[in-house]
Amino acid sequence: MAMAVFRREGRRLLPSIAARPIAAIRSPLSSDQEEGLLGVRSISTQVVRNRMKSVKNIQKITKAMKMVAASKLRAVQGRAENSRGLWQPFTALLGDNPSIDVKKSVVVTLSSDKGLCGGINSTVVKVSRALYKLNSGPEKDVKFVIVGEKAKAIMFRDSKNDISLSVTELNKNPLNYAQVSVLADDILKNVEFDALRIVYNKFHSVVAFLPTVATVLSPEIIEKESEVGGKLGELDSYEIEGGETKGEILQNLAEFQFSCVMFNAVLENACSEMGARMSAMDSSSRNAGEMLDRLTLTYNRTRQASITTELIEIISGASALEAAK
Amino acid sequence: MASNAAVPFWRAAGMTYISYSNICANLVRNCLKEPFKAEALNREKVHFSISKWAGGKPEKPILRSDTPGV
Repeated sequence: MAMAVFRREGRRLLPSIAARPIAAIRSPLSSDQEEGLLGVRSISTQVVRNRMKSVKNIQKITKAMKMVAASKLRAVQGRAENSRGLWQPFTALLGDNPSIDVKKSVVVTLSSDKGLCGGINSTVVKVSRALYKLNSGPEKDVKFVIVGEKAKAIMFRDSKNDISLSVTELNKNPLNYAQVSVLADDILKNVEFDALRIVYNKFHSVVAFLPTVATVLSPEIIEKESEVGGKLGELDSYEIEGGETKGEILQNLAEFQFSCVMFNAVLENACSEMGARMSAMDSSSRNAGEMLDRLTLTYNRTRQASITTELIEIISGASALEAAK
Repeated sequence: MASNAAVPFWRAAGMTYISYSNICANLVRNCLKEPFKAEALNREKVHFSISKWAGGKPEKPILRSDTPGV
């Protein structure tokens, strides 16, 4: 976003040179408004100085934002990596079935509330839309649950009839399991689903975040699939303790699985957001530095040209007086 | 398709497993001594705002705040 501002500023310099009328009033020779001998327009040094000051301020702000994002990233990264252990046993038990064909899918899109974080929100929305296309058809239904302001704004434009829930302000307090589980509870109570597909940015490293889909099935579908066979078919070989039936246990497991997967997804998305913000702010500081260099060159050229012009006038005036003597 | 075993009391009361385990976790956290208790209860703070959508329009958002384990 900052980059676009810089580019617009750069382009604005050229029209300001070309658009000044040629029949300009002969203003007194101050350092502000100048015309060269051949009618060449030059930018006033005052304007360039102002622009340099604002670019320098922007550079300081983006550098500060990068450092803030770096420190927040350090804090969340450890927690995200530790929380991966929460859903791994579920995948070992129930398997991961992203290609399962169900009637009602709910796509949970995770995004950030704040901006200036690069392209992560748009990639998540792209994947969500692709899932929608994949899973819609006769008798099949896809609904969206949107977490975060940014995805809400993007999805509102063309998919607003398919949104069933939207959640904001999740990042106001530091993320914890209680918060995410209350959210998961709300989603479970309000939306009917056969399969939940959670779309988030998985954090691989500070510069690499890949949009990922995690699938959680509802207990009825798990029962149906376990009859078909495969990984889920081995569920019957497990012994069930206590007085609960298999259907009971599956329901508890499915809910808990959803809560754990959401927790991990929210943490990973937060990490990716910080990482993306770091790299976005880094590149905008670098661009601001380059722009500052270019402006400094322009400023010096203008300054030297004005000094040269003054010297020429003084000398020619003096030599005219000499000749007149 | 009635199950033979009785449904656990919390399931009959309309709670999901998630809310049940949250309430149990809250009870465990309350058993701690100070200062660990304050730290642990700090980890339970909930705050987000959720709004249902009907027909492409969001309804009034509900703010869920500081209600751990519900």
